Amino acid sequence: MVAILGLCAFVAPARATVDDCLSFALEAMDKYIKNGYTLREDTWGGDLPVGEAKAISHQLFKGNNYWFCMGTDSKAAKISIHVYDSDGTLVEENTSWQSEKADGSFAGAEVKCKRTGTYFLIVKIEASKEERTGWGLVYSYK
Amino acid sequence: MMMTRLRLMFLPVLLCAVVLALLPASVTVAQSPPPRNIDVSKLAHSEQDVVIPVPSEIFNALDKLGNNLNWASEVAPVSKKRAKKPEEFAMLLGTVIANGFVAVEAKDATRVQDIGHRVIELAGALNVQKAVLTHCNAIIDASKNGDWAGVRAELDRTQSSVRQVLEGQKSHDESELVSITGWLRGTQALSSLVNKDYKPDRAELLHQPDMLNTFDSQFKGMKESVQNNPEVRDLREGLQKIKPLIILGPDGQISAKSVEQINQITSSLVKTIDP
Repeated sequence: MVAILGLCAFVAPARATVDDCLSFALEAMDKYIKNGYTLREDTWGGDLPVGEAKAISHQLFKGNNYWFCMGTDSKAAKISIHVYDSDGTLVEENTSWQSEKADGSFAGAEVKCKRTGTYFLIVKIEASKEERTGWGLVYSYK
Repeated sequence: MMMTRLRLMFLPVLLCAVVLALLPASVTVAQSPPPRNIDVSKLAHSEQDVVIPVPSEIFNALDKLGNNLNWASEVAPVSKKRAKKPEEFAMLLGTVIANGFVAVEAKDATRVQDIGHRVIELAGALNVQKAVLTHCNAIIDASKNGDWAGVRAELDRTQSSVRQVLEGQKSHDESELVSITGWLRGTQALSSLVNKDYKPDRAELLHQPDMLNTFDSQFKGMKESVQNNPEVRDLREGLQKIKPLIILGPDGQISAKSVEQINQITSSLVKTIDP
């Protein structure tokens, strides 16, 4: 876990917060790893104001199944992650979920990739008491 | 009577307390329904965010698209090339780590162990030996035990740790070259296997236009001295030649001819970096 927290795809203003958010994302991913998914070491993280979405372009490969898990250490925040193809069509399975607990929140989206190419991961802070809310995102494949 | 009334008054409170106690620490619910379609042209994103896949992610997909893949034929011998400059060591390290992923697919324990030792050696030249030692020892141990999933995970961690330490040393160019040449070596193995037994859905795995755009912008950001290194220049020019070949044709496919050309270009580039 220490290693994975090191290589974030982009630098966030508060490193410690992003690391905490990634810990939450990894916690959410744990059940899929136990189910045979391989965790990638590369991660994304940053902070966003409420209501603003961030798009991350990402390459996916036909035949692979993916789980994307997002986490935040902000109390009572609501976060979301959704996946679209390069034409802007929603491609995630209807198994996507969101969860809150006392000290943070999570969200997850599953993609069964049917076409190799560029996809867009849309991360968003749906609700939060903070001006900017930290988030971390990890992914795994099987 | 009074006691019964009091009990009835407190019953809802008691029930609430019991229900709350039985609730899990977190409640999982479906995400609110997202829009079915979005306008991607309006999305603001930077190439800095693009994550370069490790070869095993692509190989995993290839394995699902067909069996009888001769991975053993794709494992390259571990060369003893002596690089001179940091960027050359970084390029070498990227290809060697990626060769490790190929050796895992071939379940070649001896080669994986040789690669583990070579990674330690190359990491020493880049002052990142300390960061990879634990991972390389884990790679060697896991390969002895036939724990291929473990080897894959440690190879990914090795690449990640190398890049992390290089970034910390302000060796940003070298960090990017490790990823680029890792991708190159993986693409060489992929195109070789697809070329030997062409099927359109296998060839589709080569459709990664954003990767090449990302590499191009990374090369542009490198120090002039690194950009002018003949090996880096060859790599950049070679990747530019691949760009039109990985675009899907009007039939939505990458042709057998394109796959063959991709394999020729990537093989030639890998040979220059790691003869």
